[in-house]
Amino acid sequence: MAMTHKARILAAARKRAVDKLPFGARIDVWYNYHSGHNTLAKKYEDWNMVDILRDQSAGAQVRHLCIWKIEYDDLEVVIKEDPPFKTTKWRTPVGNVSMKTVFTPQEGPWIAYEVDLPFKSSKDYPVIEYILEHTRIVPDLSEYYQKEKMVGEDGMVMTGMGMYSPMQQIMRYWLGYEKFFYELHDNPAQVEWLYELEKELAKKKLEILAESPVEMPVLCSNWSDEFHTPVFAKYFAPWLKEASDYLHSKGKLTQVHADGEMKRLIPFFLETGVDVAEAWSPAPMTSVTTAELRKAWGDKVTIWGGIPAIMFEPQYSDEEFDAYILNLFKEVAPGYNFIVGMGDNLPFDGKIERVGRVAELIDKYGSIPMPV
Amino acid sequence: MTDYSALQWAVIQGDDKKTVQQVKEVLEQGAEPAEIVVSGLRAGMITVGSKFSSGEFFVPDMLFAARAMNRALEILRPRLANSGTVTIGRVVIGTVAGDIHDIGKNLVSVFLGGAGFEIIDLGTNVSSERFVTAVKRHSPDILGMSALITTTMPGIEATIKALESAGLRRRVRVVIGGAPVTQRFADQVGADGYGTDGGAAIELCRRIIER
Repeated sequence: MAMTHKARILAAARKRAVDKLPFGARIDVWYNYHSGHNTLAKKYEDWNMVDILRDQSAGAQVRHLCIWKIEYDDLEVVIKEDPPFKTTKWRTPVGNVSMKTVFTPQEGPWIAYEVDLPFKSSKDYPVIEYILEHTRIVPDLSEYYQKEKMVGEDGMVMTGMGMYSPMQQIMRYWLGYEKFFYELHDNPAQVEWLYELEKELAKKKLEILAESPVEMPVLCSNWSDEFHTPVFAKYFAPWLKEASDYLHSKGKLTQVHADGEMKRLIPFFLETGVDVAEAWSPAPMTSVTTAELRKAWGDKVTIWGGIPAIMFEPQYSDEEFDAYILNLFKEVAPGYNFIVGMGDNLPFDGKIERVGRVAELIDKYGSIPMPV
Repeated sequence: MTDYSALQWAVIQGDDKKTVQQVKEVLEQGAEPAEIVVSGLRAGMITVGSKFSSGEFFVPDMLFAARAMNRALEILRPRLANSGTVTIGRVVIGTVAGDIHDIGKNLVSVFLGGAGFEIIDLGTNVSSERFVTAVKRHSPDILGMSALITTTMPGIEATIKALESAGLRRRVRVVIGGAPVTQRFADQVGADGYGTDGGAAIELCRRIIER
C-alpha cells in the first residue's frame, strides 16, 4: 500500500525511509486572498483549501496557530475593534499598556500585524511583568481537532507554540525589535526577567503539546539572521534545545518555521536539537541555496521547503519553473530527510497548477533513492 | 586638519557616550560642525552600512550606530542651523499600499539618513496617489518603495505607472526592496535600482546621485 502524504512527511522528519519525495504544500495566502476577493477559479468555488490540494495531488499544510488560549487573573483586558484595527488594553493594578494590531481578511496571510506595541518606556516593565505573572495557559484543542479531521492522512496541521519562542515574544510582541536591542543593551536585567517569565509560560505550552496528539509541534517562526544572530546563541538555541529534548522525551518531533535569511544562523541550528526546518526559502529569495544548506546540515536536520514562493509567480515561465524543480531534486538527491514545500507559501498571484506540476515531477523523478 | 578617526570609530562601535565625547573634543579643537557631520558621523555610518552589507554587522550594530549619531547631532544641531549642512540628496520613502510592515523601510531610512540623505518618510500602506503627490511636492532625487509580502508587490508597478501618467517618471529615480522583491522583478517593473539591504541602499543611492 502506498504511503499517505502524512506518513511520508513524518517518516522523512524521523529520518526514515520513504518511497518518494514527500510534498507538503502551503497555499493559504493564495486561498485566503482569492476567497476574500471571490476570484477563485470556477472549478474551485466553494472548495476548501485541502480539497484543492487533493485535486493537485499535493500533501496539505494547514495552519493552526496554537492549541491553547490565554486567560488572565486579577487584571482587565479591554478590546476595541475599529476594523481593520484592534486595540488591546491591559489594565493592571500597577498600570496599563496597550497594543494596536491590523488585520485585513482580504489579504492572504491572515495574521494580525502589530502597529503599536505595549512597551513605550522603562515605566512599562512592571506592567508587562504583572501581565506575564497573571497569565494562565489553558488547553484549547477543539478547532485543532476539526482541522485534523479535515486534513486526515492527506497532510499535516501545523501547530505548536504560537509564533514565537520566549525571547522572540519579547523582541516582537512586547517591545519591538528596535526598542528590544536598545533595552537589552541599556537594561539587560529587566529584559532578562521578562524572558524568565515568558519561559515559565512556555513550559506550560510545552506540557499541553506533550499531552496532545500533535506529532511535530512548531517551536517558533520567522527567523532572519540580521536580527537574530546576535542573540541566538544565548537566548534561542538553549531554549530550543531544552524544548526539543523535552518533546523528544514525550515521543514528539520538533520543527521551526525557518523562512527568513538563514545564512549566519546555519551553524547555530545544529545546537537546537530541532528535527525539521520548515518553510526553507532558498535563493533567489535568500542568499543560500538548498545544496549549501544540505552540505551544512548533512543528515542531522530534515529540510521542508525548497521552492521559493516567487517561483510560482507568472514572472517565471513554466520552463523556468520545471528547471528550478529538477535542479532542486539534483541538490537533494538521493532525497532522504527532505520534504518538498514552499518557502513559504503560494503567493496570491501564484499559479495553482504549478502545485500539481510539482506532484507530477515528484512522481516522475522523485522516487527514493534518486540518482545522485 | 582634524583627525576624525576616533569619532568615526565611536560611531562604528555604536558607543553613544564616546561619540558625544569625541564630538565635544573636535569642537574644542575648532572643527566646523558641518565638517564633523560629514567627515566624522556620516563617514562612520557609511562604514557601518558596508559592514552590514558584507555580513559583518547586524541590525543591532546599525541601531546603536544610528543612536550614537543622533545623540551627537543633538549637540551639533544648534550649531548647524546657520551653516546649511549640505545633504547628498533627497529621498521619499514608503511601504506600498496594503503593506504595513515598516522595519525594513525604517532600517533603510536610518542608513540613508546617516549617510547624508534627507529622508521624507511617508510611512506604511502608501497608495500610488500619495507617492505621486509626494514626488510632486518634494521633488526628491530618489523614490524608495518597499514591499514585504507578495500580495503588495503590485503596488510598486502601479506607482511607477502612476508616475508615468503624471509625467513625473523622468524626474525621479525609483529604487525598490523587500523580502519577496528581486532584481528580476525590479527589471520587469522598470525600477531604476534594487537594494538587498540598508547597507546596499547607501551604495545604490550614492551611485544614482553621482550619475
